[in-house]
Amino acid sequence: MKKQFRFAWSAGVTFGIVTIFLFLIGFTSTSGDLLADLFGNKNAASFLGLTPQMVNMLIFLALVGLWAGSYGSRKMKGQTEDPWAPALVGGLIAGLVHGILVGLLALLVGILNLHHLPINMYLAALLPPVITMFLLGGSPIQGAIFYLVFFTLTGFLGGLLSRGVGRGSWRGRASGNWKNTWDGFNQKPLIKQVRGNPASRYVVYGVLLVLLFLVPLVAGQYWNYTIGTIFIYVLLGLGLNIVVGLAGLLDLGYVAFFAIGAYTMALLTAPAPQHIMWSFWIALPIGVVLAALTGLLLGAPVLRLRGDYLAIVTLGFGEIIRLLSTSDAMTSFSGGPKGVPSIGGPIIFGHPFNSGADYVWLIFLAAILIIFVTNRLQNSRVGRAWEAMREDETVSRAMGINTLTQKLMAFAIGAAFAGLGGALFASRNQFTGPEDFTFMVSVNVVAVVIVGGMGSIPGVIAGALVLKGLPEVLRELQDYRVLVFGALLVVMMLWRPAGIIPSSRRKMEVEVEKDTGVTEPPKEGGEK
Amino acid sequence: MIIALETKSLTKQFGGLTAVDSVDLTIQENSIFSVIGPNGAGKTTFYNCITGFYTPEVGDVLFYGKSLVGLTPDQVTYQGISRTYQNIRLFANMSAIENILVGEHSRIKGSWVEAILHTPRVVKEEKQAVVRARELLNFVGLVGLGDQLARNLPYGAQRRLEIARALGSQPRLLLLDEPTAGMNPHETTEMMHFIRRLRDELRITILLIEHDMRVVMGISERIAVLDYGAKIAEGTPAEIQGNPRVIEAYLGSGAASGLNDAATQPA
Repeated sequence: MKKQFRFAWSAGVTFGIVTIFLFLIGFTSTSGDLLADLFGNKNAASFLGLTPQMVNMLIFLALVGLWAGSYGSRKMKGQTEDPWAPALVGGLIAGLVHGILVGLLALLVGILNLHHLPINMYLAALLPPVITMFLLGGSPIQGAIFYLVFFTLTGFLGGLLSRGVGRGSWRGRASGNWKNTWDGFNQKPLIKQVRGNPASRYVVYGVLLVLLFLVPLVAGQYWNYTIGTIFIYVLLGLGLNIVVGLAGLLDLGYVAFFAIGAYTMALLTAPAPQHIMWSFWIALPIGVVLAALTGLLLGAPVLRLRGDYLAIVTLGFGEIIRLLSTSDAMTSFSGGPKGVPSIGGPIIFGHPFNSGADYVWLIFLAAILIIFVTNRLQNSRVGRAWEAMREDETVSRAMGINTLTQKLMAFAIGAAFAGLGGALFASRNQFTGPEDFTFMVSVNVVAVVIVGGMGSIPGVIAGALVLKGLPEVLRELQDYRVLVFGALLVVMMLWRPAGIIPSSRRKMEVEVEKDTGVTEPPKEGGEK
Repeated sequence: MIIALETKSLTKQFGGLTAVDSVDLTIQENSIFSVIGPNGAGKTTFYNCITGFYTPEVGDVLFYGKSLVGLTPDQVTYQGISRTYQNIRLFANMSAIENILVGEHSRIKGSWVEAILHTPRVVKEEKQAVVRARELLNFVGLVGLGDQLARNLPYGAQRRLEIARALGSQPRLLLLDEPTAGMNPHETTEMMHFIRRLRDELRITILLIEHDMRVVMGISERIAVLDYGAKIAEGTPAEIQGNPRVIEAYLGSGAASGLNDAATQPA
C-alpha cells in the first residue's frame, strides 16, 4: 500500500511537470488545433459557453489526465492479484497531485496576466489570449479550482478504466489472455508451418519493401525531400556504425568523408568550376573510392591512437576539410564559400531524374545495398574481429587479430559508405557548399548511432528516423521543437540507455543444433 | 625429447628496472611447466615477452626452433601460442560461442570481400568454425551456455570459456596466467583435472603461472622460480619444495634460517 502511494505520488508529480512544460511552450493551445486537424472537427460543439478551441484543449488535457491516473494506479511488479481499492486510490492521488500542480500554475499565470505583466516577453507562447483560453475565460481562482477538480476526476477515471470494476481486473485478464491467445495462435499447425519456414520471412520483407517503395508516390515534394534526407542519414549512420559501433573507434570527423563524396560528385558533374561534366554513374563510384582512400590515408597515421585522442584528431580532420573548401586557395578549384551549383543528376534509359520520388527510390536502393553489406560483414570473421577490438583491443591482438589492418578496413569501409551518401546528397540537392559539412553533421551521425543502438542495424535506421524525422514532425512547435526534441532525447536515454533497438546476438548454438538434427541440449549451470 | 619452447638469456628492461633478467628456460613438448615467484617477480612480463607484446632487449625466444622475437602478437598466435589472463578478459558483450569464434580468427581465412559475397568457401569455413566452437564449448563443459553473453556467465564458466577461446586458435603451447585465481578448493581441483586433460587429450604443452602451491606441486612436471626477474631455481616439485633459496624469496631471509622450525609447525 505504501509503495502504491509512492507510485501514485511520483506519477502525479511527473505528469504535473509534463503538463506545465507543455503549457509553457504553448503546446496545450496548439494541441487543440492538432486534435481538430486529426479528427477534422475544427468546429467542435461549443457548449457551456466554451469556444471550440477550449473544448479541443480540454479533450487533450483529459487524455493526459487519464494517462496520469492509469499510470499512477499501475500494478506493481510481481503483484499477482489486483485489488481495486488501492488502484482507485492510486489514480485519485495521482490525479490530485497532478491537479494541484496545474492549478497552481493556472493561479500564477492568471494573476500575472491580471496585472498585465508581459509574460510573453520571456515565454513567447504565453500571449494574454492563450492564458485567457487556458483559464477558460474565468478568474485565476476559478481556473485553479477547475483544474484541481478536472485532473482529480480524470485521474480517478484513469485508475478506474485501467483496472476495471467488478471481480476481475482488466489488466489481470488482459495480460493473461493476450499471452494465451498468442501462444494458442502460434501452436496452430498452419501457423507453425509458416513461421518455421524461412521463406515466409522473405515474403514479409518483400511486402514491406513494396510498401516502402510506394511511399514516395503518395508523399509530397516536401516529405520526399525529408525522407531522402532521413535515408541519407541511414547510410551515414550505418557507415559510422561500423567504425564506432563495431570497431569501437570514436570518429568525430566523419563529415569529412561525406564532404569528399559530395565534392567529387559536384566537381565531376557540374559545369563550373571544373567543366568536366561526366555522367552521374561515373562520378558515383569515384566518389565512393576516393572517400575510402581518404579513410585509409587518414587512418594509417592516427589509428595507433586510442579513445579520446583518436576522437580529437578525427574532429580536427573534419574541420580541416571544411576550412579547405572555404579557403581562397581552393576557390578556383572547388568554388570556395559559394559552393558548386547545378550538379548533374542520374539518367536511366534517357529518363533524367527530376522528381523527388526518383531520388528517394535511388537512395532506398543504396540504403538496401548498404544494409545488406553491413549485415554480411557484421556476421563474418571480419565483423567479429571488429567487435573483439571494441571489447578489448589488447586481448584481440593476442587472439591473432591484426588490429591495425582491421581498423584500417573498418575506417575505409565506413568512409566509403559516407562517400556514397555524400555523392547522392550532392546530386539530389543539385548544389553543395561548405555549409553542408559542418561539425554538426558529425555530431548528428554519432547521435543517430548512439540513440538508435550501437552495432545494431535496425537501431541505426530507427535512430535516423527519430533524429531526422521527429524534428520535421515537431515543426508545428516552431522554435520550441528543439527544446521538446532535447527533452525527448533525455527521456529516451533514461528509458533505453542501450539505444532504441539495442544490438542482439545471433543465436548460434541452437541454430547449428537444428542444422545437424540433434535435439536442443539440456540447460545446465545457468546460475546467475 | 622435442623442445617446445626455449628462452635464451631473455632480458626485458623498463628504464632502469630489469623486469626479466637473463632467464633461460627449456620446456619439453607435452609437459606441464610452472613458473612461480612472489608478486612482482616478472612472471607476467615474461609471458608478454613470449607472446610478442614486449620486445626483449637481450636474448631470444625459440618456439620449435623458430625465433619469435620481433613478431607481433597476432603472428605469435599464428605460430601456435595462445594465452589466458590473470584477471578474466573475455569479450564481455559477445556471446560465449562468438568469443570462441574470435579465438579461431587466425585459423580461418575469409576476407571482407568474400564475406560480402558469401562465396562457397567462406560459407563452408564459417560452418566448420561454428561446429568447432561447439566442440570446444562441449570440451570445457559449457554446453547450453553458448548463446549467453560472456559477462552473464558465472565466474568458473568464464574461466573455462577463456581457455576455450584460447584453444580456438589451435595452439601447440598454452600459457595460463593464474587459472585458479579466486576459486574455491573444489573448483581448483576441477581446474587441475581440466589442465591435465588439456595436455593428455589435446596434446598441448602447458606453461602455467600460479600462486596456489597445491596446484603447482600437484600437476607440474617441472617448476622454475623467478625472483626480481631472475631465475633462482628450477627443478621437479620435490626439488623446489626443499630449495632454501626459494623459501628465502617467498618468506624472507629470516625464515630461511628458521626453516626447520617452520617445517615442524602445522600450517
